[in-house]
Amino acid sequence: MTTAVATPRHGGTGRNAAVAARARQVVKAYGAGETRVVALDHVDVDIARGQFTAIMGPSGSGKSTLMHCLAGLDTVSSGQIFLDETEITGLKDKKLTQLRRDRIGFIFQAFNLLPTLNALENITLPMDIAGRRPDAAWLRQVVETVGLAERLKHRPTELSGGQQQRVAVARALAARPEIIFGDEPTGNLDSRAGAEVLSFLRRSVDELGQTIVMVTHDPVAASYADRVLYLADGRIVDEMHSPTADQVLDRMKDFDSRGRTS
Amino acid sequence: MTVWKTSRRNFLAHKGRMALSAVAVLLSVAFVCGTLVFTDTMNTTFDKLFAVTAADVTVSRKTSGDDDRLPGNGRPVTIPASAVGKAAKATGAKSAEGAVSSMSVTVVDSHDKNMGSTSGAPTIAGNWTRNDLRSMEISSGHGPRGPTEVMVDADTAEKHHLKLGDELRTITANGDIKARISGIATFKVTNPGAAVVYFDTATAQTKLLGRPDVFSLISVTAEAGVADEQLKKNVAAALGDTSAYKLQTQKQAAAANKDSMGSFLDVMKYAMLGFAGIALLVGIFLIVNTFSMLVAQRTREIGLMRAIGSSRKQVNRSVLIEALFLGVVGSLLGVGAGVGLAVGLMKLMGAMGMELSTDDLTVAWTTPVVGLVLGIVVTVVAAYFPARRAGKISPMAALREAGTPADGRAGRVRAAIGLVLTLGGGAALLAATRADESSEGSLLLGVGVLLTLIGFIVIGPLLAGLVVRVLSAVMLRMFGPVGRLAERNALRNPRRTGATGAALMVGLALVACLSVVGSSMVASATEELDKSVGADFIVQPAGGDGAPIVDQAAKAVEAAGDIEHVTSYKSVSASLTAPDGTTAKDALVAADPTYKDDVRRETVSGDLSEAYGKDAMSVGDTYATEHHVKVGDRITVAFKGGETAKLKVAAITSDDVNIDKGAMYTSITTAARYVPADTLPQNMIMFAKAADGKEKEAYAALKSALAKYPQYEVKNQADFKQQLKDQIGQLLNIVYGLLALAIIVAVLGVVNTLALSVVERTREIGLMRAIGLSRRQLRRMIRLESVVIAVFGALLGLGLGMGWGTAAQKLLALEGLGVLEIPWPTILTVFVASAFVGLFAALVPAFRAGRMNVLNAIATD
Repeated sequence: MTTAVATPRHGGTGRNAAVAARARQVVKAYGAGETRVVALDHVDVDIARGQFTAIMGPSGSGKSTLMHCLAGLDTVSSGQIFLDETEITGLKDKKLTQLRRDRIGFIFQAFNLLPTLNALENITLPMDIAGRRPDAAWLRQVVETVGLAERLKHRPTELSGGQQQRVAVARALAARPEIIFGDEPTGNLDSRAGAEVLSFLRRSVDELGQTIVMVTHDPVAASYADRVLYLADGRIVDEMHSPTADQVLDRMKDFDSRGRTS
Repeated sequence: MTVWKTSRRNFLAHKGRMALSAVAVLLSVAFVCGTLVFTDTMNTTFDKLFAVTAADVTVSRKTSGDDDRLPGNGRPVTIPASAVGKAAKATGAKSAEGAVSSMSVTVVDSHDKNMGSTSGAPTIAGNWTRNDLRSMEISSGHGPRGPTEVMVDADTAEKHHLKLGDELRTITANGDIKARISGIATFKVTNPGAAVVYFDTATAQTKLLGRPDVFSLISVTAEAGVADEQLKKNVAAALGDTSAYKLQTQKQAAAANKDSMGSFLDVMKYAMLGFAGIALLVGIFLIVNTFSMLVAQRTREIGLMRAIGSSRKQVNRSVLIEALFLGVVGSLLGVGAGVGLAVGLMKLMGAMGMELSTDDLTVAWTTPVVGLVLGIVVTVVAAYFPARRAGKISPMAALREAGTPADGRAGRVRAAIGLVLTLGGGAALLAATRADESSEGSLLLGVGVLLTLIGFIVIGPLLAGLVVRVLSAVMLRMFGPVGRLAERNALRNPRRTGATGAALMVGLALVACLSVVGSSMVASATEELDKSVGADFIVQPAGGDGAPIVDQAAKAVEAAGDIEHVTSYKSVSASLTAPDGTTAKDALVAADPTYKDDVRRETVSGDLSEAYGKDAMSVGDTYATEHHVKVGDRITVAFKGGETAKLKVAAITSDDVNIDKGAMYTSITTAARYVPADTLPQNMIMFAKAADGKEKEAYAALKSALAKYPQYEVKNQADFKQQLKDQIGQLLNIVYGLLALAIIVAVLGVVNTLALSVVERTREIGLMRAIGLSRRQLRRMIRLESVVIAVFGALLGLGLGMGWGTAAQKLLALEGLGVLEIPWPTILTVFVASAFVGLFAALVPAFRAGRMNVLNAIATD
């Protein structure tokens, strides 16, 4: 059993205000009998509100699975996941879809945008689907922060990779979700474009109070986070607060060599 | 060979995607093969039948080439009975029998119900001879003996629950024969539907032929070892003067009988093959689309193959080989299904009264060959263009993000070609509407139809962009963002949307065109009836088989009460010599003088009522202009089977009509002066006018007068119009039924396009689901896209078809189709139905898209 239940840094207003999502004793296993593979092994985790959390770990450690389960994209074998006070484990597809639509934002590694819609349409898509009118002032602010005001009428094919990811970030922010999940959002970008996107995510946490969870294997990316969770073999093995890229890298090397020697 | 191997694996890997294309090939090939098997089977059935019914040598009356019997007097041609004795004495003849056979009869049971076939097969009455034992055997009772006994065939007996002792009334031109069933005879081969009754020879001669000393034909049986050809020569020698006789060996007689069936079978065969061709054409769209999409999806894979050294040719070939697999599988299944279809058709014909036995099922070796070659060639040709495109994929494509396939922007060249074709076709259609000659006009019409069709197919992608945008503005907007997504998806690859819609367009264009022509026909005829028909009632053969009205029925009509007048109408063949010396064979209308009130005709000059006077006639203005005939001129009329008369032209009628166009009128009294009573044709049709205010009573009286003659029916004007409408409606329904095949294939095309689009957009769907698109919204999006494609096809098809139909009507106005009527209810129904077809086509793809696992969908590359 592993635990990464955070001590709230901005404590005092009560647990509910500080924790945006929690996982309790989450197990995710594939197959059965001898071929049974455990991707998540009794994981407990609290995602603090208004924080930028990075999840790291080697390939196959279960980091993506954990994020997918937290985001309601995947089902768990056992255990519970809460988004704020809503238990999402056990929700039917319809409710889960609504929850993703209204309360969660996503940024994927690639193929974030619908090729048939222009940048602005992509940004407002979740609200359009929900039949909500976007808050115009907020939308303008988001668009301007992301630096896309000139490119709103462009189709994704007319945008660079970095611009596409920024559109994806803007989409995730525009609907004001409780939490944004990023699945290696800078994995396909060169370091400059990646830095752009990451610093923008950082600012959205600092200035807008957004909660972000990001899966990455890039120590530089992780250094933008407030807190880094390390996963190995389906367990949370360590965590680090306010890391630098070098610290993260060292810790990774440490795990690597431990993995090899043990 | 590697190319073979990869092709085979690809084919198997995509068998789901190939299935719909295979079904399209299958359906078309099945229809072609089914038609061939069905018509071959009918041929076999008739071959067998005619082979057993004909005697070794048949002697019959030689008739003047153009028609086999004297027109419409209900009496078959005969030969003298004395010839039987002469033929029997021929060397090598074992026996000779005089046979009586007449098809101008109607057999009814004691409830006056017609025992004849409902499928158009004849009722045949004859005498029972030993020759008939070749094809039939008495299964119960005994042969007819004396004038009160009749034998009936077992199929008819079974169909109408007849048993020994039941009374049958046979209505002939020489009066009715009332007789009880003495025996039932069974055919040894399949009888496709003719009802057959037998009498003893004397009764048959007097009642069917009208004279005791004649026969219809002589059946000569050969002695063992005597060849039919030899016997024919011997019989000819024995008869002496053979100028009046026609001698046929069994083979010749069978061939001659077959010829008379042949044209009917051919028409049916080519009509059905035509519809199979349309389905095949539509199938081509489906195949092209399938392969285009498969190639698009495999861009990366093909790029990789090119990168590791596959030549352009090899890639090209590998796609073609896949098409070959598809063609072979689809065609093989199609041939099998075709045989099944033929059996189904035979059962259907059986239900409609035409008996065909599966024992006679004939699958010629050419049938599977034709089916396979057709299916394979069409598939490979259809896959050629996508294959060529595959060959052009650069090796770099493997390294690029596969993402969405090429934008597929419709090229300018394509647009220009399409526009030129469409405009050219439109001009041809316009010219057709202004043509003065129908032959020239129909050529223009054909060219116009073909060019506009091809033009529409070519500019389909362009139109898709336009129409989808308009549709979206009208219809999709109300569905909000989901509607917008559907619009964008339909617009994403205009070429694909265009081709999918065009497939539907072809079938619907034909439906629209035919429905316009059909309703214009009804409208024109109705208008004409209102304008020119003054009679209240029309008596004519039921089922429109054109058999004349026997005199006893005509008398019954004349005797009906509450009638002001009854008009007889006969068609008399004659050879006419105009004053300018030209001679032509034609038919005169011989009618009662009241006919001019029953069917009103405009006269150009003269007075039509005088044409019914003694030795007078009228001609149409076309004839009059052509032969410079004026009122008062005399025309030499050589009545067929009668004398020659010089008739005075008393009136020239205008030919700007549909009914009786070009008809020449004379009175029955005049005709009867020159044509002997037993040669004068029976009434073709009769008209009646009710006494003032007695319409209802008169109608009832006429109906009861004809109750004993179920082969005729009386109609008032309203019923007649309805019947006209029903008949054209029925004809259209058959055509629609056959076009349904093409439409089914087109719907499969929509299903296919959607299914492949869903697969292609797996990631997108995953993304949309992840960011909160509900299953229901996703399904709706796919359904809307489907509806848009279907409605696009319907709009194009209906528009094109109405254009064709209007052009055809304008052209046919020359032939009297004066009124254009667009059947809006039909058009609207088809339009709305096409939207539902779209919904239906989206069922499975939408379901599958909804069921997709979000995570897997996102992870798909």
